[in-house]
Amino acid sequence: MSDFALQRPLTKRRYTLEVRQQMAWHWQALILAGSMILGLLISGTILVVAGVPAGELLNEFVILTLFDSQSLTSVLFQASPLIMVGLAGCLAFRAKFWNLGLEGQMIFGAIGATAITMWDIGAPSMRLPLMIAAAMACGLLWAVAPVLLRLKLQVNEIVSTLMLNYIAINVLLHLMYGAWKDPKDAFPYSPKYESFELLPELGNGLSLSIPIAIGIALLVLWFVNISRAGLYLRFVDKSPKVASAVGVPVAKTILMAVLFSGALAGLAGLMVAAGQEGRLTHSFYVGYGFSGILIAFLARNNPIAATCAALLIATLFVAGRSLQVFYQIPFAMVQLIQAVLVICVASSDFFIRHRIRRVQGGD
Amino acid sequence: MDLISSWMGNIPEFAVPFALAALGLIITEKSGVLALGAEGLMLVGAVAGIGAYLTFEHTALALIMAMIAASVVSLLFALMVLVMRMNQVISGLVLVFFCQGLTTLTGTLMGWTNQPVPGLETIAFWPLSELPYLGRFFIQNPVVYLVPVIFLVSVWALNRTTPGLRMRAVGENPQAADAAGIPVLSYRLAAIVIGAALIGLAGAFIAVLSTKLWISNMTAGRGWIAVALVIFARWSPWKALAGAILFGCIEALIPQLAASGIKLSQYFVFMAPYAITLGVMIWVAASKRDSNSQPGALGTPFIREERT
Repeated sequence: MSDFALQRPLTKRRYTLEVRQQMAWHWQALILAGSMILGLLISGTILVVAGVPAGELLNEFVILTLFDSQSLTSVLFQASPLIMVGLAGCLAFRAKFWNLGLEGQMIFGAIGATAITMWDIGAPSMRLPLMIAAAMACGLLWAVAPVLLRLKLQVNEIVSTLMLNYIAINVLLHLMYGAWKDPKDAFPYSPKYESFELLPELGNGLSLSIPIAIGIALLVLWFVNISRAGLYLRFVDKSPKVASAVGVPVAKTILMAVLFSGALAGLAGLMVAAGQEGRLTHSFYVGYGFSGILIAFLARNNPIAATCAALLIATLFVAGRSLQVFYQIPFAMVQLIQAVLVICVASSDFFIRHRIRRVQGGD
Repeated sequence: MDLISSWMGNIPEFAVPFALAALGLIITEKSGVLALGAEGLMLVGAVAGIGAYLTFEHTALALIMAMIAASVVSLLFALMVLVMRMNQVISGLVLVFFCQGLTTLTGTLMGWTNQPVPGLETIAFWPLSELPYLGRFFIQNPVVYLVPVIFLVSVWALNRTTPGLRMRAVGENPQAADAAGIPVLSYRLAAIVIGAALIGLAGAFIAVLSTKLWISNMTAGRGWIAVALVIFARWSPWKALAGAILFGCIEALIPQLAASGIKLSQYFVFMAPYAITLGVMIWVAASKRDSNSQPGALGTPFIREERT
């Protein structure tokens, strides 16, 4: 039989793809790891082509970012808003709603929080909780229109949420170059927040945003795995038609998940503004919206996995900033590497689900 | 009057990128592949066009190179959706993300930012160019006149030729097409590559012929507006062309408003195209017109082994 196959010219042999029923977990892990390594190798090659000395790569990316306590803190610090947008993505995608408006919801969250500081609402001790509430409310409100339009009129949410992003960006620019611009600063930034308006440090440079992020991740985990709404969400994810036939309130479930998602994106906005920058800036949102979507995709909408993926992306963000400073490489490099990693991980999914087999004998 | 005349003159410059990108999207989507990557491919076209011009100093060559570059990058998208059977929404988004990173990086590191290019000489379409008010509409660069030709050829190819009809069959019902012996994936690959070439040309048009310089992320959401345009044109090329001209009218009005001295924050003016896109999408959804003109298999991967 095999002799027969060997005699045939190469082009005449047929290969088919078979769908695997299952695969041992250690093979899955091996393929996943292999694809990540491939992705990192491709990214490394891109960096070398872009002008980073090859010898410095390991030093720059791995040692300085992960084995330096100060950088490690900044990775954790950077991770908290990314965990928020990642969880926001997971929630919306579980409801089969392509919420690409994370960026816009994040911007409005930060605008809401800054409005509290600009107008001095509430006593200093109540200021931060008010800002958090305002950020979540504004993020949520920015998600109301696309989800209602989708549920009532079947307006494609991919386009509507993206259009709302561009609108939000222009509102932000309007405020930053206009009414809210800090007169003491040449840049389009808002005035600095007061000390009681910042997310406090807990010592060791760790900010309050880290425990908040972990808490919210646990809350989302409870929501999707244990709560009744999470069960409904799984019904809706598998088949909205069957779900509505067995009496699951499909529209309400989608609405709730998407609004929750918007609120978390708003909170991410607050974490960047009140945690990292200490003020509202004209470009604080750059990179977060798409990162949230990619994190949710990498994590297959699982909150725990999303938290881990967010840590990985946060490492990239931190390393990307230092590349920007030391080698004048645009921050867009981070976007490119993220995209390469996602493509590689997605391709590992292909090898996990399929096997290539040569068909022997007849054609 | 002067205002109307110069407005008319600007319309094609804004309408052509929408028209070309929408046509490219329609061709890809008629084969059943959901193409959300238009924004990214336009960026590739823009950077490749400018880069090629700065290298070879030849505009037509730059436009062709831009089309080739977008087609080459679209092979990555084809790999994701056709070979690896990834979710087509995610693939489109990843493509946009990839292209944003790639073009910003290439353009910045090569030093192509803000380098002016001359574009192409305008040609007057006599005698229409002598019309009062409308005349300026017919004094355009040669690529503008090429657009109706591209549309005619595409519509003819889609509706009248065997490959075009087969491609549409693949988009409507890939299982039936496969049973009839049509190579589904090859047709989809061809649709992606041809569509990408047109989208790349749209991006190059913006950079090389309209703005005449390159800055990072310069398409600013026009690719997404083209996606919306295809949805409300119900995958009909002629309706998409009409929609593109309508959007061209609106976008061309923006510099006019600024020039006429109406006191309005420029950022509210900038957000107008997006708000109008949203408004039109809501209007189309609310009026519930023939909603079944979407290609039947749009967005579903073709997996022969899982045929049911």
